[in-house]
Amino acid sequence: MLNQKDIISTLQMVREENLDLRTVTVGINLTDCVSDDIGRFKKNIYDKITRTAGQLVTTCQRIERRYGIEVANKRISISPIGVVAAPFSSADMVEIALTLDKAAQELGIDFIGGFSALVEKGMSQGDTALIDAIPQALTESQRVCASVNVASTRAGINMDAINRMGHVIKEAAELTAKDDGLAAAKLVVFANIPQDVPFMAGAYLGIGEADAVVSVGVSGPGVVKAALERMMREEGDVDLSRAADVIKQTAARLTRAGELVGREVARTLDLPFGIVDLSLAPTPNENDSVGEIFEAIGLPAIGSPGSTAFLAMLNDAVKKGGAFASSHVGGLSGAFIPVCEDLTIADSAKNGTLSLEKLEAMTAVCSVGLDMVALPGDTSAEMLSAVIADEMAIGVINKKTTAARLIPAPGKKAGDHVVFGGLLGEGPVMAVNMGTQENRFVRLGGRIPAPIQSLVN
Amino acid sequence: MNKVLISVLGSDQPGIMAAVTRVVQQRDGNIENLSQTLLGTVFGALLQVEVPANEDTDALQQAIETACEGMNLFIRVHAWNEKPSQWHEHPLEVQPYIITAIGPDRQGLVAEVTEKVFKHGVNITNMQAIFEGGRNPMANLMVFEVDVPRATVLNDLREELHEVADKLELEISVQHRRIFESVSNILN
Repeated sequence: MLNQKDIISTLQMVREENLDLRTVTVGINLTDCVSDDIGRFKKNIYDKITRTAGQLVTTCQRIERRYGIEVANKRISISPIGVVAAPFSSADMVEIALTLDKAAQELGIDFIGGFSALVEKGMSQGDTALIDAIPQALTESQRVCASVNVASTRAGINMDAINRMGHVIKEAAELTAKDDGLAAAKLVVFANIPQDVPFMAGAYLGIGEADAVVSVGVSGPGVVKAALERMMREEGDVDLSRAADVIKQTAARLTRAGELVGREVARTLDLPFGIVDLSLAPTPNENDSVGEIFEAIGLPAIGSPGSTAFLAMLNDAVKKGGAFASSHVGGLSGAFIPVCEDLTIADSAKNGTLSLEKLEAMTAVCSVGLDMVALPGDTSAEMLSAVIADEMAIGVINKKTTAARLIPAPGKKAGDHVVFGGLLGEGPVMAVNMGTQENRFVRLGGRIPAPIQSLVN
Repeated sequence: MNKVLISVLGSDQPGIMAAVTRVVQQRDGNIENLSQTLLGTVFGALLQVEVPANEDTDALQQAIETACEGMNLFIRVHAWNEKPSQWHEHPLEVQPYIITAIGPDRQGLVAEVTEKVFKHGVNITNMQAIFEGGRNPMANLMVFEVDVPRATVLNDLREELHEVADKLELEISVQHRRIFESVSNILN
């Protein structure tokens, strides 16, 4: 017999608080698809993806029915195309992206990630071709996501790559000007990219991973917010130690639910189970916002003083709860603060409580970085590179993942509104404090050396 | 040796089980299994007892009643032939589910839900009501733990239960038991 408290707490999670499985992501290794013939390569990857994940959507639907928990998104991550398609030209890379798009459409999934390059120390021919192809590829495809790792704590920061990415982002946004620069919203620049993130747009399958693997991304900012509100209401006299405890326990429960469903999907597909990534990933809906958690704990709004301290505690408590609940926690596992994907964060950015500078400070203690940040359309490529360089430095020095998903919205000024639609959301264009569009520091290029690992003061 | 089932119902108070089991012991009976429950202040117990071949059920019932005099209890002793029902004799492959009905107490709720559950060949293994009144919906909860055979089409059952829910203005959900277990039992 189950006890009453357990029944009620589980019901609350599922029923009132937007617990869903944000994504079930099947990682597919494409290294055995290599060929120097573009036609054959395209056929190989299309066949392997559709064969391995052919049952993904129907399996998820069946398991949704069994458990009464929604699997919001079904996705694919693949080996970095910059590696497996190394012999091909930039024009070929665009064709490869369209093949991936077609496979995603055939499977009925919403995103496929792994149009990626790992260039933290230098760029190979394949990486260069892929990066050059990104603007066109993301413009012509609907479901392909791209990521480029330009820095790591072990290798330092590749400023040449960052310079190039400033232009790539700019070009991607301009090619999709009528959609406010949508293509740039499907492109993430990383430091210390994890090999097993199930969340988009940064998902790819690392070279050290299995042939195919099922990972799940669990979200649930609404559950955490509701738990904190209930604690305040029912316990009255609480302090932050208690709040951290409540977040930790909630995270553990969320992780358990996610792992249960993920393992069942993996078993049904006859694939190994990879990891659970418990991340507070918001959607542009009420009760599914990370910003609302900040208000629930007593901050005036996300972005006001105190926000960095609370975010540090939140991120840490989420990680601790997740790590305790499952032995295979991976990916990003923390709190996301994507501006346009979160109603409350978008509001704070709009009314000026949250500036780009404060956001950057907060990314030092959260699990990702400058995520879904719309910038004025006239921001120069050089300035974009400078913003990215700052963000990468935070990750490299703090030995954590940071990322930049910046969208210089064509024709838009700070304070204007941009709409990307669906999960990518909408929000205000944030101001960049730049004075001049020139930045000679960035232009110097080269590599910022890897940081020392001792003398940590 | 014969088997009997003993049921004891009444107001909860100390000493009920002591009185009943002492009589069983004195008459050379052996308790094989038992369960007791409290419904608010109401006590209920069910005992499965092995008794000597010459034991008479009426005499045993009378002896227990005498021992419990003044406690205001309803006591019954039934001879029992130990034959399980068809359901237990030929067990089907089942999946455990939890059906919950959330909302204010409605007349006919249990009858409506159990009727649908029965219609779809589902067996109830445990039921509990959490009625605390007030406006918090979670304080008015009816929980049915059930075993669902493979042949049951879960979506059809869900659909019919949702019709019941609409009629009675309740919210009814059907979820796999494993969800509740994995979320709750973190230390295992």
